[in-house]
Amino acid sequence: MQNEKLLEVRHLKKYFSTPRGQLHAVDDINFVIEKGKTLGVVGESGCGKSTLGRAVLRLQDPTSGEVIFQGEDILKYKAAKMKQLKKDMQLIFQDPFSSLNPRMTVSQAIAFPLIIQGVISQKDKAALDKRVNELMDLVGLAQRFVNSYPHELDGGRRQRIGIARALSLQPKFIVCDEPVSALDVSIQAQILNLMQDLQKEMGLTYMFITHDLSVVKHLSNDIMVMYLGMMVEYCSSDALFAKPLHPYTRALLSAIPVADPDCHMERVILRGEISSPIDPKPGCRFAGRCIYATEACVGEEIPLTEYEPGHFVACARINEIHS
Amino acid sequence: MTSKELVQSKELVQNSEIMRRSLWMDAWRRFKKNKMAVCSLVFLMILVLIGLSTIVIDIATDNAIYDSLIIKQDLTDRFGEPSGAHILGLDEFGRDILLRILWGTRYSLFMSAAAIVAAAMVGTIIGAISGYYSGIVDNVIMRLMDVVLALPYMLLAIAIVAALGPGLVNVLISIAIGYVPEFARIIRASVLSVREREFIEAAKALGASDRVIIFNQILPNVLAPLIVQITMAMAGAILSIAGLSFLGLGIQPPLPEWGAMLTNARAYIRDAWHITAFPGLMILLTILALNIVGDGLRDALDPKLKN
Repeated sequence: MQNEKLLEVRHLKKYFSTPRGQLHAVDDINFVIEKGKTLGVVGESGCGKSTLGRAVLRLQDPTSGEVIFQGEDILKYKAAKMKQLKKDMQLIFQDPFSSLNPRMTVSQAIAFPLIIQGVISQKDKAALDKRVNELMDLVGLAQRFVNSYPHELDGGRRQRIGIARALSLQPKFIVCDEPVSALDVSIQAQILNLMQDLQKEMGLTYMFITHDLSVVKHLSNDIMVMYLGMMVEYCSSDALFAKPLHPYTRALLSAIPVADPDCHMERVILRGEISSPIDPKPGCRFAGRCIYATEACVGEEIPLTEYEPGHFVACARINEIHS
Repeated sequence: MTSKELVQSKELVQNSEIMRRSLWMDAWRRFKKNKMAVCSLVFLMILVLIGLSTIVIDIATDNAIYDSLIIKQDLTDRFGEPSGAHILGLDEFGRDILLRILWGTRYSLFMSAAAIVAAAMVGTIIGAISGYYSGIVDNVIMRLMDVVLALPYMLLAIAIVAALGPGLVNVLISIAIGYVPEFARIIRASVLSVREREFIEAAKALGASDRVIIFNQILPNVLAPLIVQITMAMAGAILSIAGLSFLGLGIQPPLPEWGAMLTNARAYIRDAWHITAFPGLMILLTILALNIVGDGLRDALDPKLKN
């Protein structure tokens, strides 16, 4: 059970056509998630993290590549089979304010997936109520909110509805698209703990998208760092925090605030703007902002190489930087 | 406070929280604050009751009252001034104006409601499809709607009635067709904004079909502008029905439609003011009431006004 691959993504690309050219939102992403594990996907706004999550779920069809879920390439699935698959793959959204239909009560929102997937008939009110109650207990929502509307609840409770809705179909794999970044820090911890408990209880597999490294630190087994649609570093969570290799990862890590006023960390300040994702030139996309960049970094694509066992990095000067 | 009372008060708090407080209840609370709108709504309710009861009376008496008082002419007492027996006076054929106005409610109110509801249903479906699928579908549908909108509304209605011939159903059709583009545009605009919200993506991720997403997820969220538009459009439709009747294309005499009453009375306006004044006043009041209710609804349903 331990090393069973649940999801494997190979050479996944998602390009958008714009009037000025091809926008490379997700460019040649490869990763594997084992059953019951969590992959953290980290990167700044606009780096293609959310697009990657949606491409994996086929909410936006990828341009090319393979998404192998339980041994089958789901990109080849027809619509009917895709609908079946949605029971196994779910999504938790960033913004609990817009991810819930304002005209649906808590119970309606949680019962909705059960009805449309035909798990429980709409007429079987007793069974629906029972299942909704179970799910509300599971995510820690008090029963008295069963007929409340989303606008009457706070962000943490709404996010719990979102989680209950995603769990209602008993999925195996959940893409969490910045599920806590819209919440207060105190609520963030509650939701993260809840998600961790649920993972243990139900054997869930997560792909956890976030721009906040401190959030994924405790939750993820592996972490993938993205920059402008490409992977720049991919390794276990422990390895990343112990020894970040890519200059971009180091800049990200140095931006995590430390709760100690006497601690004066050396900050790596990034200069310059993020370059355009439209028809990017070959070479390292981070080169324009990197303090180590030389001519070796531009001109040709820089492959992801295994610097240490299980620690992949895409940097042309990695040997020089870390010598 | 004893412990028993404390338990009771706790239960009370919980019960009130369990109570279903929907968005519509909130809207109604805000609507109630607008006294003018409430008065107008009451006025419209009375009209609806009158309209319904005259229909019931006609069915119960097998049109006896209708034939003897509303249609039957009595040329011995033409142009009777308002008096105790006939509060609003008698018309050019000696018929009681008050009764004719009451019996005419069904045409103005119910016909316009039927026409607008039909237009709203067709327009909503067209607008929802157009907004949801966007792209070429949207362009083709909206350009077709533009063609209809390009024609002056009254001219279009006249043309359709002229082609189909006058009569209740034809007037209804002509008015409904004219209002379809208006509804389609409003619903399309609302759908365009709702469709980008994340809960639509959530529904897609859960495997909901397009039909379920449009009818179950999007349309309940565009009801507010739709309801406002229906009340506003009804005012326009009443005017159109009266206008068509006035031109002799709508409801034909001797049916007691308010517009038709006006057109018949027009010739005698110098001699008998009351024949034209009262039907005209009724049209005015009804449209005014509908507009005020529409304005009130728009304010009440606006989620930005949380008071």
